[in-house]
This record gives sequence, structure tokens and C-alpha cells, in this order.
Amino acid sequence: MNPSPRRSRIFAASFVVLLVVLFFASTCIGPTVRFAPADAWRGILAMLGLGKPLDVATVQTILELRVWRALVTIGVGASLALSGGFIQGLFQNGLASPSLIGVTGGASLGAAVAVLIVGGYAPRLVLEHIDAGAYLIPLFGFIGAFATTAIVVYLASGGGRTSVTALLLTGIAVNMCVAGLFAALQSLTLANWEVSRAILAWTFGTLDDRTGYHAGVVFTGLALALACIPFTAVELDLLKGGESDAAAVGVDVARLKWTAIFAAAVSASAAVAVAGQIAFVGLVVPHLVRLAIGASHRVLLPLSVLGGAVFLLGAEFVQRWLLGDAALQPGVVMSLIGGPFFLVLLVRERREISAW
Amino acid sequence: MVNHLVAKDLCFEYHGGIRALAGASVEIARGELVAVIGPNGSGKSTFLRCLAGLLVPSSGSVTVDGEGVVALPPRERACRIAVVPQFLPRLLDVRVSDFVLGGRYAHLGRWRSATQHDRAVVRSSLERCDSFDVADRLMSELSGGQRQRVLVARAIAQEAGLLLVDEPTNSLDPEHQLAVFRSIADLVAGGRAALVVTHDLNLASQFATRVLVMQNGRTVTDGAVDRVLTPEVLEPVYGPHLFFGRFSSGRPIVVPWADER
Repeated sequence: MNPSPRRSRIFAASFVVLLVVLFFASTCIGPTVRFAPADAWRGILAMLGLGKPLDVATVQTILELRVWRALVTIGVGASLALSGGFIQGLFQNGLASPSLIGVTGGASLGAAVAVLIVGGYAPRLVLEHIDAGAYLIPLFGFIGAFATTAIVVYLASGGGRTSVTALLLTGIAVNMCVAGLFAALQSLTLANWEVSRAILAWTFGTLDDRTGYHAGVVFTGLALALACIPFTAVELDLLKGGESDAAAVGVDVARLKWTAIFAAAVSASAAVAVAGQIAFVGLVVPHLVRLAIGASHRVLLPLSVLGGAVFLLGAEFVQRWLLGDAALQPGVVMSLIGGPFFLVLLVRERREISAW
Repeated sequence: MVNHLVAKDLCFEYHGGIRALAGASVEIARGELVAVIGPNGSGKSTFLRCLAGLLVPSSGSVTVDGEGVVALPPRERACRIAVVPQFLPRLLDVRVSDFVLGGRYAHLGRWRSATQHDRAVVRSSLERCDSFDVADRLMSELSGGQRQRVLVARAIAQEAGLLLVDEPTNSLDPEHQLAVFRSIADLVAGGRAALVVTHDLNLASQFATRVLVMQNGRTVTDGAVDRVLTPEVLEPVYGPHLFFGRFSSGRPIVVPWADER
């Protein structure tokens, strides 16, 4: 339960330093303008209302877009990794991820519905009150993700108990239903080029053109999940001996499950709502943190937050630096490196798998 | 400290309608070490889990000092009742001292981590169970016997008034069987109460203050060692292949006997 505290502190400190460096690097370096660190700093201060903006208004705008992009990236990476940490702790399986309980599928469906509304499929009355999909898509994505998770949990619960196996199987079944509906929407809108392109693009994930609104959504989800850590970390450690054993030493197992599922759902839902489908972060970051510093959730969960932020921001920065204008959407990059990585994990951990 | 646990007419069915308990009752007070014996499948472990509040009986009631055990908040319940499970479902990647520290969970505040006192309790619990030498090992590295002793140590660290122990001596050699029963008996002598499910009639004979016999989900006999470990009580439950004798202390000995009757 208690890995070497020194080692965890070294990891935490390295992550924080890396995060600050990557944040500045992503702000300074980009396809159009390259900022000197001093200018970037001035521009950031101006965003906070502490000083004059950069001389050219368009340049200040570019800087602000990059800052929001970096912040949203940090929030999304942190949220997905934290969500994965909760899910892996709850399922007692280091290869579990938030998409198991329907978060990703639900968000896709919600976002697709929002795209349809924006694309003119909604009654005129609704359309007249909507300015842009920018607000609607994250909102519907969040509702879709959270509602799908709630349905999974509700269906998996019987007689006041939620068995983890039931949760897993129900998640698979509900994911199939949601995927079917999503495919139906895609198929129905195939003729409408604009709409079907928007739906498709969403599934690739995006971190471009993010604003304070997106950052607000993702950091609210993250904050709610972080607030759950003190109520679940020690308890998730005790769950390793099984639910009955945890209950015997005084853990309120039902409350633990609800809190962990809520935390996982709210953080992952907010993340996919603002950034689209970005797989892999929620699986791999908590997994690697566990390999590096041990399995105590008191350390694992906070370090996953930092690790997730560093991982996504770093991966994004590197690929945009290397590929420039040819840079891929974040969801695509994560899928490309995620699949092979997952295979390596599986092969390495055959022992664990044989115990499933 | 628990003064009195009362279970009345407990019934319990597992999913699929397997009736595990069909009227089981017991009363335990401070200073008592009750051994629960009975054939395989007689409902002993289910009974223990109902007493612990880990299973909710379909009828009947369990109270600790007058309060229903199911309604107690989990932490409060864990401060009063500690459970030593028969085994843990998986091999834990957890250090022994941290595992035993898990027994302190109910005593820790939400924001407070383990204090010097908690660590001292962990240490003395491990020492009592002759396990302090493995404190820094992983649970998954221990032998079956070592793991069993560590499970008892965690229950001791929980500092509950009542210990519910499920077959603690299954994989232990004779010396450690005695050690485990001695540490339970010491706790009982110190003012706690214990209920121990066991197949070892002779350890029950030496350490128990009372013996409870279960058969087909019912408690059929409950009484002093001398009154229960007799052919009249045990042969209808276990069958005729038993040999009855006496230790030099006068306590009964019961061993399986492949006679030619």
C-alpha cells in the first residue's frame, strides 16, 4: 500500500516540471507564429488581465488559442487518466478503461445528436435558439456519456448490489446498443456531406479551436473527480482482498463503488465531451504509473492526473512538431500508438490474463 | 468493547435457492471462546458471515449490544467485529505490514493517515502471531501457514471486541495451530469474545469455553465442551467413525477412527 514515498515524490516533481515546460513549449511553438518565451509570458499575463496584450491583435489571438488548446489538452489527459485509475481500481484489473462502462460510446452518440441539431435536423424552434455547435456538442457529449454510464450501472445493479462482473458484461452490451444507434445516425446522414463529416471528425477527437468554455467543462469534471479521491483511495487499496474482505474491515463497499463510478464517469465524460474520442490515455497512464510506483491508490490516482496531462500534452506537442501541417487528430495518434502498446502489455502480462 | 452478540433463528438462501441456514442461533458474551463445529456444508461459514453482517439473513436477527448488525455503519461494525476469512480470493501484491494496517481502517479518520499508535498496534499484532519477521514481505510470497497467521494478526490489529474466525488452522503445522489458538484464547482472556469455525475437535476441546454443533443449517447443540464432545452428540452428526478418549487434563479427545464395525 505504501510504495517508497521518495520515489513517488520524484515522479510527481518530474511530472510538474515537464508539464510546465511542455505548456510553454506548446504555447511558443506552432505552425504560424513562433513566440519568444518572454512574449508568450506577456501574452499569458494579458489574458489574466495583468498587463498589456501583445502589440498585434491577431498575434495575441493566436497565443490565446494555443494557451486554451494546451490547457484543454492538460485537462483532457488528466481527466482520462484519472478516470482510468478509478476504473482499474474498481475492476481490480490493470487493463480496464473508462470506455468499458460506456463513456466513450455514449459521448459519441450525444455528440452526433448535437451535430444533427446544428445541422438542421431539429425543429425550427430549437434551431432559432442555438448560435453554434461549439456549445451544444460538448453538452450533448457529456449528457450522452454520463447517461450511458448511468444506464450501465442501473442495469448491472440488482438487489442493491452491483457486481463488477455484471458491470463489465452490461457495459459490453450497452456499448453494442449505443454503437448500433450511432451507426444508424451515421448511415441516415450519409447523404448530408456536412453533417456526416462533422460526426466523423468528432470521432477522431480534436483539440483545435478550444476556448475557455471547453476548459471550464473539462476542469469542472476533473475537479469533481479529484474531490472523490479522499473518499476512495484507501478503500480501493482494501478492495484488493475482495469485496467481502473490504467490508469486513469497515469499508462501505456500495458507497465506494458509486463514488468511484461517479468520479470515473464525470471526468471521462467531460473529457470526451470537449475533445471527442481519445482512447488509450485512460488505459495506459494509470497502468504505467502502477508499474513505476506501485499500486497504492493514494499515490496512483494523483500521479495519474499529472501523468495523463504530461502524456497527452507531450504526445500532441511532439507529433505537431514532427508532422507540422500534416499533424493528425489526437484520437488518431492515440489509436495508432495505443493498439500496438496494448498488445505489448497483453503479451507481457500473460500471467495476469490467465487469472481473469 | 462488545459485551453481547445475539443471533436468533437465522435463515439464509444463496442464489439458486440453496438453503444454507435454516434456523441458526447463538449468544456470545465477553470472555467466551465459542467453537463452531459440524460436517462440511452444515452452514458454518455462512453463519459466521451473517454474524459479521457480511451477508443479510432472509429471516432472523443479529444484534451486538442490542443494535442490529446489518444496520450498523460499516466502520462502526468493524470496530466491534473483526473477521478472519478462511482464505483471500487472490494473491495480494501488498506488503504484509500494510495488509495488517488495513485492519486499522475503521479507526482512521477520513483525512488522517496511520499514526505511530497504529503502527505500534500493527507491530504488536504481528508479534503476537509470530509473524513480525515477514512484515516487509509481500502477501503473495507467503506460505499458506504464514498467510493464515497474518490474517489473524490483521484481525487483532482491528481491536474489535468480537473475533469471528473461519477455520484458522487449515494449513498450519501443529505448533502454529496451537499458536493461533493461543493468541485467540489470550485475547478472550483479556476481555474479548471469539467465535471460531473449526474442523479440529481437539483444538476446540482444549481452547473453547463452549462448543456449538451445526447440522443442515441449524444449530443443534450448544454447550460446555464436556457435554458436547461426546458420542451421544457427535455420532448422529458425524457418523460412527469416531474414537473418543481423554487428554491428561481430562478434556475430551475425538479422532477419526477407521474401525471395522
